[in-house]
Amino acid sequence: MGNPILHRELMGVLRQRRTALLQCGVAVAFALLVALRWPTEARMALSGSRSLEVFRLFAYGLLAAILLLLPVFPATNIVRERNSGTLALLLNTPLGPWRIFWGKWLGIMALAGLILAASLPAAAACYSLGGVSLTGDLLAVYGLLLLCAGQYTALGLLVSTRATTTDAAVRWTYGLVLLLSVLTLVPHHFFLGSEGPLNTVVEWVRCASPFAALMALQGAADVGSQGLTSDIDIPSRFALVSLGLTVVFSWLTISRLNHTLFDRSRAAGKISNDQGAWVQLVRRLIFIVDPQRRSGAIPRFINPVMVKEFRCRKFGRLHWLLRLIAICAVLSLGMSILSVTQTIQWEVETIGGILVLLQVALLVLITPSLTAGLLTTELETGGWTLLRMTPLPIWRIVWGKLLSVTLTLILVLFATLPGYLVMVYIEPGQADQVQRVVICLLFTAVFGMLCSAAVGSLFQRTTTATAAAYTSLLLVCGAPLLIWLGRDAPFGHDTVERALTVNPIAAALTVIRLEGFRDYDLIPANWWFLGLASVLSVLLMLTRTWSISRPQ
Amino acid sequence: MMTKTLESTTSATMVSASPPVMVLEGLTKKYGPFTALDGLTLSVAAGEILGLIGPNGAGKTTAIKILVGLIRPTSGTARIGDADCVTQAHRIKRLVGYMPDKFGSYDNMRVREYLDFFGAAFGIPTRLRLQRIEEVMEITGTAYMRDKFVESLSHGMQQRVGIARTLLHDPKVLILDEPANGLDPQARIEMRDLLIRLAKSGKTLMVTSHILPELSRVCDRVAIVTHGKLRAFGTVEEIGRMVSQQRTIEVQLLDGSQLDLAATILRNGVEAGAEVQTSPQESVVRCRTAHSEAALADLLAQLIKSGIRLSQFREMQTDLEEAFMTFARPGGQSSIAGQSPAGGQ
Repeated sequence: MGNPILHRELMGVLRQRRTALLQCGVAVAFALLVALRWPTEARMALSGSRSLEVFRLFAYGLLAAILLLLPVFPATNIVRERNSGTLALLLNTPLGPWRIFWGKWLGIMALAGLILAASLPAAAACYSLGGVSLTGDLLAVYGLLLLCAGQYTALGLLVSTRATTTDAAVRWTYGLVLLLSVLTLVPHHFFLGSEGPLNTVVEWVRCASPFAALMALQGAADVGSQGLTSDIDIPSRFALVSLGLTVVFSWLTISRLNHTLFDRSRAAGKISNDQGAWVQLVRRLIFIVDPQRRSGAIPRFINPVMVKEFRCRKFGRLHWLLRLIAICAVLSLGMSILSVTQTIQWEVETIGGILVLLQVALLVLITPSLTAGLLTTELETGGWTLLRMTPLPIWRIVWGKLLSVTLTLILVLFATLPGYLVMVYIEPGQADQVQRVVICLLFTAVFGMLCSAAVGSLFQRTTTATAAAYTSLLLVCGAPLLIWLGRDAPFGHDTVERALTVNPIAAALTVIRLEGFRDYDLIPANWWFLGLASVLSVLLMLTRTWSISRPQ
Repeated sequence: MMTKTLESTTSATMVSASPPVMVLEGLTKKYGPFTALDGLTLSVAAGEILGLIGPNGAGKTTAIKILVGLIRPTSGTARIGDADCVTQAHRIKRLVGYMPDKFGSYDNMRVREYLDFFGAAFGIPTRLRLQRIEEVMEITGTAYMRDKFVESLSHGMQQRVGIARTLLHDPKVLILDEPANGLDPQARIEMRDLLIRLAKSGKTLMVTSHILPELSRVCDRVAIVTHGKLRAFGTVEEIGRMVSQQRTIEVQLLDGSQLDLAATILRNGVEAGAEVQTSPQESVVRCRTAHSEAALADLLAQLIKSGIRLSQFREMQTDLEEAFMTFARPGGQSSIAGQSPAGGQ
């Protein structure tokens, strides 16, 4: 505790009620997990298979807990201090950037340690059941989790030095965590069996994912590799990559902890309208939608709140939307080309599965960031009072906000559809399935939007709202997949099917008949669930909006 | 003093010939056992600027929020024009331009877009809206910042954009919560001129502020509120006269060594328990007294007779700041507590 920052960081976090709740939640969740599978019979399998089943779930659960719960703390740390003015005070003390960073990093790592410590009784119970090795399984998993925590803490702190608002920092951090932990697995599945430098790069990229390392520790490194096995040591490579990234992120963060953090002007730039006709023409040709051109007045019959929402978002301006759609279209076309060229090697279902996973990942990544702060940002900035003072009815304000998200999601979904068209062209028999997948995606988008908006509306601060929306959506999308991982052992077919019923990803994957999901029948139960949950979310959001808009 | 308060407030009402635009009657707001506003009664005539002053937590913002329909009173009524602030909040929105103490910034929006959004929210037709935006930017001196991003504006600039926003729908009444808060001297002068121009253009203004010298120069009438109660209401001069029942006498000595002697003579000469202060740095003794001119002449004679060499013996002018302090200080509160502030009615 020689470092005053470490002391303050740790004490500050430990004093919060949410930290106590978080620790209790982790302890209770893992205790329940162990209790669920604790032997009830007098006989025990000597192989320890039952214990390994529990331990497998336990390890994935712990990794999910670290990935979901931890990043919000480093992400908000520096940006909040900068905005409240305390960072300037810190930089004026004799503590250098190194000690400031070190104190913050250690403080958050101590919190990660507390989360992991809460899981120790459950880990000890797994160990007592037998079959789990202390060094090979338990210590290796905890070591991996600590590496993971260190890396994402450094990443979160780096993002926090670059972001201007806390909610933007949370969005970017969770997006990058998703990229580093899940999307790094995708190239491996695309380029299975390739050789040469490409294979080397793909394998190293795969090793950046903690999921790949954990799967390797659990002896499931080559699941989904269509019979191909690799002999690389994924956990060791992960340790190397993780340590390397931690050092790079830390160094970048330290190099940014100086006066430049406060030296950010927001110049208006040269407005195109004030320049000559030739300049305007050239800019129009280059940009199509010139970002420096004065925007027109809001048309009378368009919801002004919707236009305001688009204009307020950094990437909501038309020129950014065009770029976003272009990126999605290029991605989709890339997948279409892969669909055509790889159909002989892969089944159409596998390609469909990858498409679905990418689209859902995109939805899960984008939707909460767009919707979680719809109300809380207004409350936080004081904009809600101003909106209440306009003659706009509350339903029109809410509708305008939701409409701005809906239109963005529709654009993203449409931009990624060409891949399915190619699939149907190759195998016309898939048309029915593709239709159902598209319905699943629409349900996912609507549910994601309304659920995030409803959860976000319950909070007073945008950061908390964004983190809560991401967590709730990832729980719905991720937790049932943890149960799916334990299909047949320890969970039976019916249990897995019931758990997957709430999961929009699983529903789409069963429709596309991906290996591992073929045996489950989730439609229309999943649509009913998502539909009902969406309606409840709307009601919750409207109730909350009503309560904050009526006179006190 | 009670008689004087009633006199001053009644005369203030009589001065303004035009009918009241804003009327608050017995406005009370309670949060559990805490009373934020306690029977506030006052009125503002058309074209007037009313300054609402009081220490932090006095109930100013609560009163304002009731007026604009954001808070419901526990009892009492508030009216703007012929619209009831509680039951006809939707009409109030068109009648009032409200600037809260928090600016309400939106990221990535330029000033013109910001004003365009609020104009559209008020349903102003496109062509008229564009014209109106130019007008309000001209009035508030914000035309040069039309392309600047709202979040990059300085506090003073934001305050002016805030006023431009309130003017968009051309309301009859402007309610501004702390418009001069955090402004530098030049920005404060500009804000003062802007408020005067708005009043001259026929708007009725209610302004809260902590910067009392600014208010005294701008406001037609001032209401002092402490602990949710109206303590004084009238023009700055009327309130000054009311406070001046207790006049402050300042004695400037040539020699600082005679300070204690002068203070003793003054303490014996004024009422028992009256406040007598010495300032060795200035060689000045100040006291507060309700004595008549003749009694003060005797006091001066006694000082001279005692061999005290003084260069000045004068009554200090009571300004708004002093009046405010008189009502805000604990003794001041108790001295007028329980008085019915029927001001303005």
